[in-house]
Formats: sequence, C-alpha cells, structure tokens
Amino acid sequence: MAANEAAQKIRIAIDTLKTSNVRERPLVEVLGLSHQMADAMQAFFGSLDRSIISEFQYIADYIQKARDEIAGLQPNDIGNTRIPGASQELDAVVRDTERATETIMAEGERLMEMQPTDLTVYKAEVDAAMLRMFEACSFQDLTGQRIKKVITTLRHIEDRVSRFAGALGVTDGASKETAEEARNRELLLNGPAMNGPATSQDDIDALFA
Amino acid sequence: MAVDLSMQVLVVDDYQTMIRIIRNLLTQIGFKNIDEAKDGRQALEKMQGGRYGLVISDWNMEPMTGFELLQQVRATEALKATPFIMITAESKTENVIAAKKAGVNNYIVKPFNAETLKGKIKAVLGDF
Repeated sequence: MAANEAAQKIRIAIDTLKTSNVRERPLVEVLGLSHQMADAMQAFFGSLDRSIISEFQYIADYIQKARDEIAGLQPNDIGNTRIPGASQELDAVVRDTERATETIMAEGERLMEMQPTDLTVYKAEVDAAMLRMFEACSFQDLTGQRIKKVITTLRHIEDRVSRFAGALGVTDGASKETAEEARNRELLLNGPAMNGPATSQDDIDALFA
Repeated sequence: MAVDLSMQVLVVDDYQTMIRIIRNLLTQIGFKNIDEAKDGRQALEKMQGGRYGLVISDWNMEPMTGFELLQQVRATEALKATPFIMITAESKTENVIAAKKAGVNNYIVKPFNAETLKGKIKAVLGDF
C-alpha cells in the first residue's frame, strides 16, 4: 500500500469517527473503524524503506553515543568543581605575588630613604630588611605549587574535550569575533610575547636612532 | 641645556606596582615632581589641567590605551610638543612602528632596567 493511500484511509476513518456519535454507534462498528485504521497504519509502516529505518537506527545510536560521551566529559564536575577551584588558585597567586611585591618594595624604599649616619645601626637595619625580603620571596614556592594545580586542571579538561570531539567527529566551526577581540585587534593589544620580547630593545633602539 | 629636574613628570600605568617602580627610578635619577594616572583618559584629563614636561606611559590600559593617549596628545595643539615615552610589554614590530608613526619619542620594552630608562630619558630630554 502506498503511503498516500494509507494516509487517505486513515483520514477517512478519523473523519467517520469524528462525524458520528461514537457512543450511539454499535461497538462492532467502532471496532471495525479502528481495525481499518490499524490495518492502514500497519501497511504504511511496512511500506517504509528499510534504509530509512536503518538511518533512524543510526541516529538513535549516535544520540546514545553522544549522551555517553557527554556523561564521560563530566561537565558538572568541570563547571562546579574544577574551573572554580582553578580560579581560586589563580586568585591566590595574584594575592600572594601582590603581598610579596608590596613587602619587598616597602623594604627597598625604606632602605633608600635611610641615612647611614651610624654604620653599625645602618648595617643591622639592612640585614633585617634583607631577611624580610628573603622571607617574602617564599611566595615563589607556593605560587609554583598553585600554578601546577591549575595546569593539571587545564590538562584534564583538554584531555576530556579532545576525546569528546574525537569520538563524535566534531570539527571547529567558524567563530565570531567578540567585542573584546575586536578591540584588541584594532588597538594592537597583543600582550607580552612568550620567551622574551618579540622585538629586542636593541632593534627598537635602531628604529629610533 | 640641562634638564629641569623639577619639571612635572606624568607616569601612566594601570598597575600600581609599575607606577611605584618607575616613580622610584625617577626619584633616583633626580626628578622631584612625579604625578600618576591609571589610564589614558585620566592622564589626558590631568594633562589638560596642568603642565607636564614628560609623559611615561604603558600601552595596554582601559578604557583608553597609551597609544590612544599618544594620538590624542599629538592631535591637541597645547599638548602636542610634550615628550612622550612608551614603556610596554607590547613588543611586536607593528606596535613599535605604529607608536613611532603616531609621534612617540622613545619606546622601552618591559621588563626594563634603571639604566635603560635613564638612557631613554636622556635621549629624549638631553643630558642631566
């Protein structure tokens, strides 16, 4: 039975049921209409191409696989625990470096302002200030450990996202430039270069010679 | 002609630590009047209300960058002759060339030392 023919029979059966008062019709008649409808639908689904059914099966399998991969990505763990944790570590790094810088600069400024009238007193003050500067430098150990934790988190996320993209065959789509990216491009805001300045001070000096 | 060490110097940077470092270096060199601004907009307002003999500015700041400040200064008749030194981590050649075209007097790339700063101030203002 062709799809159009099946659809026509179903429509007729529904119209018949709609126009008649079902309660007043003999049960046998209603059952007959239902049977007619069921036959039409069975014929319709039976006429579906096997390749379409396998396409639906493929889509269903793909959705199941995507669900499994998303669960493996553990987005809630990343969003609720790992990213906030890394953010807190970086905040602590900024705080620690600021505190250490403040201590070291304050000690340096105090020494620069001192008048070495009594050399013994001056030497004792310098030694004490130097010790406080050394103590302040202990931030380097702590910030190193904190940054290592952040790097571990980033690697963890990178691994999961890469596995997810690989499993589902995801490729990068075109991304729209954000307002911040546009500002950075227009105003030549590139930030510090990796491994030292992109142009050395000597080369810059040559341009101004 | 010797540099007037009592001239007003404006240091522009959004990081207070960097302002403090430059301020200390300038004090060591002998400058006595050092003012500061935390971005290009605040610096321009200060320049319009006072007289500065030298501007030392960072590039990357919000809402107005050091580059925009330089362009504004050079476009303003009363300010355009002010010596302007850029101290920045922006070290791409395109940045240096853009700043030079906009009229910067010298360009220092971060991190820098006291000797470099002193040398560039001498190159811009003359010996002291």
